[in-house]
Amino acid sequence: MKPARSPHPGRSLAAAVLSGLLLTSCYSLLPSNGGGQTTPRALRLIRPADVAVPAGYRVEAVATGLNFPTAVAFDDAGRPHVLEAGYSYGEVFTVPRLLRVEQGGTRTEIARGERPPWNGLDYANGTFYVGEGGEVGGGRIVKISPDGKVTPLVENLPSLGDHHTNRPVVRNGYVYFGQGTATNSAVVGPDNADYGWLKRHPTFHDTPCADVTLAGRNFESDNPLTPAGDRVTTGAFLPFGTPSRAGQVVRGALPCGGSVMRVPEGGGRLELVAWGFRNPFGLAFAPDGTLYVADNSYDERGSRPVYGAGDPLWKVTPGTWYGWPDFHAGRLLSDADHFRAPGKPAPGQVLARAPGTPPKPAALLGVHSSSNGIDFGRAAFGHAGEAFVAQFGDLAPGVGKILGPVGYKVVRVNVSDGRIEDFAVNRGPENGPASKIGGGGFERPVDVRFTPAGDALYVVDFGVMTTTEKGQIPQPNTGVLWRISREGTR
Amino acid sequence: MRRLLPLLLLAPLLTACLPQRRDAPLVGELTDLSPSEARGRVVYMANCQQCHPGGAEGLGPALNDKPLPHLAIRAQVRAGLGAMPAFDASEISDADLAALADYVVRLRRHGVGGP
Repeated sequence: MKPARSPHPGRSLAAAVLSGLLLTSCYSLLPSNGGGQTTPRALRLIRPADVAVPAGYRVEAVATGLNFPTAVAFDDAGRPHVLEAGYSYGEVFTVPRLLRVEQGGTRTEIARGERPPWNGLDYANGTFYVGEGGEVGGGRIVKISPDGKVTPLVENLPSLGDHHTNRPVVRNGYVYFGQGTATNSAVVGPDNADYGWLKRHPTFHDTPCADVTLAGRNFESDNPLTPAGDRVTTGAFLPFGTPSRAGQVVRGALPCGGSVMRVPEGGGRLELVAWGFRNPFGLAFAPDGTLYVADNSYDERGSRPVYGAGDPLWKVTPGTWYGWPDFHAGRLLSDADHFRAPGKPAPGQVLARAPGTPPKPAALLGVHSSSNGIDFGRAAFGHAGEAFVAQFGDLAPGVGKILGPVGYKVVRVNVSDGRIEDFAVNRGPENGPASKIGGGGFERPVDVRFTPAGDALYVVDFGVMTTTEKGQIPQPNTGVLWRISREGTR
Repeated sequence: MRRLLPLLLLAPLLTACLPQRRDAPLVGELTDLSPSEARGRVVYMANCQQCHPGGAEGLGPALNDKPLPHLAIRAQVRAGLGAMPAFDASEISDADLAALADYVVRLRRHGVGGP
């Protein structure tokens, strides 16, 4: 018998689609907390066996109890030195320090600073170079002699905002470094008051590296600077509460935000290498001499939230503009299907004309993974020529809601085809920091660096940082320096 | 249409309320990929990895536990769903989409029963 046909096939189809959508919405019923949304134990447990690495590698803890460590580098004798930041999101200020890690994990203080955070470290020609974040006082690159003398090399960098002066790397007589932007997406907003700096520096804003012409797009927000709770209108690249107009030109300057700059080792004229980054935290030269940058991408926060923006790993071509604040990974933010946060307006474009055509990244790492320090593998360790990336992990819910913790691991990236593979991850039934999933493995990896011989990888673990709707809560003295080496080597 | 309707019904049912595998154990990278799966991996890394790192949960839900048929994978990439954007043929060609679906199906089996 021939089956009867529905007289209204369109209705059947609509019902099928509707029921499908309803059923698929079960996803929203699942728990969806970030890795920082947890209550850690009072004392951090450290157990190297809880970090899974590929067969043939082993993990050990070299130093524990570090206070917000952010970077590691080695002197001529191959001795590891770590930076303690002296500041952490959550508005916790301590003392920035450069420490030599001795055998057995004890520390010798080499130098201390006054303008936290100290974000990045390199060593060359008998001198340490530090990216001094300058949350208070502005950013600098400082040189530190082995006896602890601190000398500024570059000053007055635009670091009073969300993102700071980052890792220096020394190459061919130049010190290259990353400079982060003031804001999430070029518009100063209430989120910057939550981060602490808007009340300290109410006129601070983003500075482009070259003249830009604004589209005249403005953003209305609450005013956290007044008790009345009034509303203000703010344009891109302008102080909080200052609207923009179409065709308005904002003059470029050097130094500028969202850039990689360089200066001769001995001091001299500051030069722009490339710009259009958001927060170029990790810098490293590949074995072929190419500069790569790990860029922390947009958050879903503030007056101009951007949804679904993974962290690009960029191959840097000097003179190139990489797209911030109107592109992500080569794609316009006005493509709202991709970047519109649920229930919020599309970010649109703030520039009337793009300063260039941004390229595609070498790889695209997890949204909110906070992919930070990078270094390149060599034959003595394996995976020669691949980038190893420390992923600090998400800061949800402040940066946006996610369905599960992202980051909290070390990944390796084949920069020729963008392939990303886990290298060192916490054991457990789910991903996340040890404080959330149990055990004694990684909390928040923030930097990676191979030894001068290239036979071991050091991982700087910032320590425990929990997160709430109101911001971050870092736990002092919970940082760890880990070492990963081949089995049978010392 | 009659052949399409069961698929439309089946796909959401399969993707909806299954238990979520939040991450894959460290079992190493996929090896012995077919040419199509290898091509799909490149497409995945450029377009999908940022929201579903390693096929696991992230900004979006895990993909490594969904017994989605090939057709449903392709349909969802083209149409998008909820917060997931749609990818048209200018972004992912039909040939790349087929390769991507091959890779996602292969990824689902990776790590099952691993250490």
